Amino acid sequence: MTTAKRLGLTTIALVLMGASAAYYATTMAMKGHGVLSSSLNYLVLALIAALTILMLLVFWRSMHRAMAEVSRQIGDMARTGEVGMVMVRGNNELNEVTVPLNKLLTNTQEELDTLRSEKRELQIQSRIASAEKHHTEAIIFSISDAVIVTNRFDELVLANEAAEELLGFKLNTSLRKNIDRIFSDGSLVRLIRETRNHSRSSRRKIVEHSIDKNGDSKTFTVTLSCVTASNDEVSGVVAVLHDITREKEIARTKTDFVSNVSHELKTPLASIKAYIEMLIDGEAEDEQTKRDFYEIISGETDRLHRLIENILNISRIESGVVKVVREPVSLTSVVKRVLNVAAPQAKLKDLELEERLAPVFYQVEADQDMIYQAAMNLVSNAIKYTPNGGKIIVEVSVDEKRGVAVCSVADSGAGIPEADLPHIFEKFYRVNANKKLAKGTGLGLTLVKHIVESVHNGELSVTSEEGQGSTFSFELPVLS
Amino acid sequence: MSKRIVVADDEAHILHVVSMKLTNAGYDVQTAEDGEEALEHCQADPPDMLITDYQMPYMSGVELCKALRQSESTKDIPAMMLTARGFDVEPAEMIEAGISAVLAKPFSPREVLGKVVELVGEAQEATVGA
Repeated sequence: MTTAKRLGLTTIALVLMGASAAYYATTMAMKGHGVLSSSLNYLVLALIAALTILMLLVFWRSMHRAMAEVSRQIGDMARTGEVGMVMVRGNNELNEVTVPLNKLLTNTQEELDTLRSEKRELQIQSRIASAEKHHTEAIIFSISDAVIVTNRFDELVLANEAAEELLGFKLNTSLRKNIDRIFSDGSLVRLIRETRNHSRSSRRKIVEHSIDKNGDSKTFTVTLSCVTASNDEVSGVVAVLHDITREKEIARTKTDFVSNVSHELKTPLASIKAYIEMLIDGEAEDEQTKRDFYEIISGETDRLHRLIENILNISRIESGVVKVVREPVSLTSVVKRVLNVAAPQAKLKDLELEERLAPVFYQVEADQDMIYQAAMNLVSNAIKYTPNGGKIIVEVSVDEKRGVAVCSVADSGAGIPEADLPHIFEKFYRVNANKKLAKGTGLGLTLVKHIVESVHNGELSVTSEEGQGSTFSFELPVLS
Repeated sequence: MSKRIVVADDEAHILHVVSMKLTNAGYDVQTAEDGEEALEHCQADPPDMLITDYQMPYMSGVELCKALRQSESTKDIPAMMLTARGFDVEPAEMIEAGISAVLAKPFSPREVLGKVVELVGEAQEATVGA
C-alpha cells in the first residue's frame, strides 16, 4: 500500500472519529446530563476536532508543496530538455515516487546520451558521404565524354556538362523528369530504356549513334551499363557518349587515300601493260611506232616511280618517321642548284628564266635535300604550266626586319581558277582546267607544303590569276 | 562503211593505245579528252558504241552515259567503261547509266577489242536494222 493511500485512509478515519465524538457529545447534552460536565465534554471534543482539522491542513499543505516542487522540476526538464534528478528536501513520504522516477530519469538520460553520440556519428558519416558524392560528381563532371545517369523510372538523376551541352538541356536534380521529356533525341531515350529492360540478357552494350548538332552530324559510341542495387535489381542506367567523329573522318581519309593511290598507280600501269601487249601482238607496224611505244613505256615507268617516291615521302613526313638533317643552308645556293637542273627544260619550251637571288651568306636552318626538292617542285611546276615563250622569275630575298628568307617562283602561265585555289595543296588534287597542259600526280604541291610547313615550320603561300600566272613562295627563318 | 566508236579518256596514252587497237581492227575511232567532248561527239553524230573512262574532268563516265540516255538519238548507244576505280563502281549505277561492260585498269587491249566485237560486231558488219 502506498503512502498516499495510507494517508488517505488515516485522514478518513480521523474525520469519522471526530464526527462521531461530536455527534456523541451533542446527543449526551440533549439527554440532560450535568451542564458542567456536558459542556466540558463538548469543549474537549470540539478541541480534538479542531486539532485534527489543523493537523490535516498542515499535512496537506506540506504534501502540496512537495508535489509542486516535483512538478516544477519535471517541468524544467521538459522545457530545457536536460534530464536530471528530482530532489525533494525533507519529505521522505515522496521518496517512493521520486526514487523510481529518478531511476527512470537516469535510464532516460543514458539513452539520451547514447542517441546523441549516435546522432553525432551519423552527422559525421553524412558529411563524409556528402563529400564523397561531391567528389564522385566532380570526377563525372570533369569527363570530356557526355555522361548521363538515369534511375529505374528512367528519370534523369545525373548528367555532366558535356552531356548538357551535347543534348541541349540543363540538369535540375531537385526536379526529376523522365528522359523522354528532356531529350529530343528519341533513339537515345529508346536505347536507355532498352538497356534497362533487357538487363537480364546483357548488362553492358556499346552502340554507334549519330547526333545532329547545329547541322553537323556527329558520330558517337554510346556505352550503356546497367547499375544494379544490392538485391541484384536494376537501379538505373549509365550512358557514356564518346565522340568518334574525328576517328571516323581519319578512317575515311585513309580509305580515300588508299583509293586515290591505287587509282593513280593503276593509270601508268595500264599504259605500260597496254603498250607491251600491243608490241607483243605486233600492232606497231614500223620501227618508229615501236620506238614510240618503248618511249611511252619508259616514261610511264618513271611516272610510276615518281609517284611511289612522292607517296612515300608524304607518308614519311606525315607519320614523322622521316629523317630530317637540319643544318645551316644558303637558300640562294640551293635555288641555284635547282635552276641549273631546270634550265635545260626551260630552254626546251623557250622560256625566259630570270634569277633574282640574294647574297649567298644568308643562311637558314634546313634540311638541304628537302628544301631542294620543294624548290625544284615549284620551279618544274612553273615550267610545266607556262606556255612556250613565257617567263619565269625565281627570287630569293631576305626580309631582315622579319628575319626570314623568301623563295618565290612567279610564272606567266595558265594560272589557277579561284575555286581551285583552296584545294591545290590537297593530295591528288589537280586543277581540271590545267590537266591537259601537263602530266602530274597531284602530289607535288602537297609535298612542298609538308616540307615547308610540317618539317621546317615555314610558310607556303600562293597568289594566282587565271590566264596571267601564279606566284608560289615560301619563307624560312634566317639564322642570325 | 565501218563502225564508228567514240573513245573518251583524259589519259592521252590510254586514248592512243585503245584507238590504235580499234583502228587496226578496222573501226572508225573518234577520241575525246573529257566527258563533255565525248557527249558533243555523240550528240553531233551518234556512234555505234562508246568506250569511256570513269574518272574524267568536268563530266565523269557515268554522268556521260546517263546524259546519253536522256536523248532519243543517243539513248541506245552501247557503252563500255574502263576504270582504275574498280571498288568504287556501284553495279546499280552501271545499270542505271546503261553501261553494258566494265573493264578494270590495267586492261588488255585484246580484251577491249573482244568486248567491242561482242557488243557491236565486227568493224565491217552491217548494223542490225540499219
